[in-house]
Amino acid sequence: MDPNLQLMLYVIPTVVGLLLVLPIGRALASPFEQMLPSLVGERSRIFSGLIVTTVAGFAVSIQTLWISSKVSEGGNFCASNSVFSCDDVIGNSAYNTDPIFGLPWGGIGAVVFCVLLYFAYSSSVEPNASWVGSYLNLGTAMTFGGFFVIGLLVFYELEMEKICQYCTTAHVANVAAFIGFYRLRKMNDSGEWNIEG
Amino acid sequence: MKQIYDDHADIRTKAAIRVVSLFFVGLIIIAATTSPIATGTKAGERAPPLEGKFYNGTGGWTDFNLENYWDPTWEEGDVSGQWVVIDFMDTDCPYCIRSAEDVSINSGDFDGSNPQWDGAIVNFIASATELDINGHDSSRAEIAAFRDKTADSGQSCGGSDCGNRAGSAHNFPYIDDIDQENMKEWKVGGTPSYYLIQPDGIIAWSSSENPGEDLRDAILALVPRESAQQGGA
Repeated sequence: MDPNLQLMLYVIPTVVGLLLVLPIGRALASPFEQMLPSLVGERSRIFSGLIVTTVAGFAVSIQTLWISSKVSEGGNFCASNSVFSCDDVIGNSAYNTDPIFGLPWGGIGAVVFCVLLYFAYSSSVEPNASWVGSYLNLGTAMTFGGFFVIGLLVFYELEMEKICQYCTTAHVANVAAFIGFYRLRKMNDSGEWNIEG
Repeated sequence: MKQIYDDHADIRTKAAIRVVSLFFVGLIIIAATTSPIATGTKAGERAPPLEGKFYNGTGGWTDFNLENYWDPTWEEGDVSGQWVVIDFMDTDCPYCIRSAEDVSINSGDFDGSNPQWDGAIVNFIASATELDINGHDSSRAEIAAFRDKTADSGQSCGGSDCGNRAGSAHNFPYIDDIDQENMKEWKVGGTPSYYLIQPDGIIAWSSSENPGEDLRDAILALVPRESAQQGGA
């Protein structure tokens, strides 16, 4: 499958998740509310968007880890002479691991999105549990911390003069997750948490 | 009534099991569909990047990137693939100056210009550094004088005129690694250090891993030859 077409498998759920966590999600989701009851109500809609986003973020992180393994074999997946060449970014051994532990960025992304998914999923199933507030705070803090990592990775891309489309999708998923966790946190702190519809 | 599972169990356990399962499914997919090769300088590992400005006798110093030598489609035994020898050296290191003669002979014998060699072409590349030793002061002019064996250039290699070094002038590229960037990336412990690399970028042999073994012997043992293939057929 063409790598850019395959990228759509991750881009579409990421964008859908992003739209659901935004305030405009209500208007966009209203035609589907009868078919998908989880889209009824602000809280459950944001949770739905958050889960979709974190699953997409996890999947695209696993894909980047797979690409780095393929590139290390000597193969190529999305190499191109244009500025969009994820092989050149993910395959660059000077930048493709974190500077402290030497772990691949794709692996770090997969672990982080799994933790975020755990926070979102468990909180969505039991929204009135005592630990939900802590999970939302942790999710907000983790995704906020992700902005610094994104800044570093974008700096690497600028140095290489190449853009990795798959990595950018994971970055957008982090931004969407931050919005989702932040909005849920605010709702949880206010009296709107248990107001449906 | 027999209770199969606890309906009132903490949802966090159930969620954790599901998420961790998803994580392992992802890892299993990667493990089942790829065979990653680590980047490093040991035999069997993928050669790290080697970049910088290089001098090849004419045209001054231009960009060099080792990646341009690799052919990912190369298969073991294929004589048409071009191998690479990287010589990490210092123009002021006495042993590098003495071994320059062996390097001249080896590059002349295996670089494709020797009709008696029916094996794969072996391209030689020197990465010239400046070791942190008193008296080891290098420059691009010194590297060029060492490579070209230029007499009376005013450049000193190990305390003598660079034109007096052993061996003939070299006809392969010399990379400026005075800042030791490549040397550190390759974790080179001392000079000279040699690496024999397959056409697909995988390190086949290194002098640091095989002390006492000669580079020439390694080339003869590892680089495929047409005569050997015909004899074995």
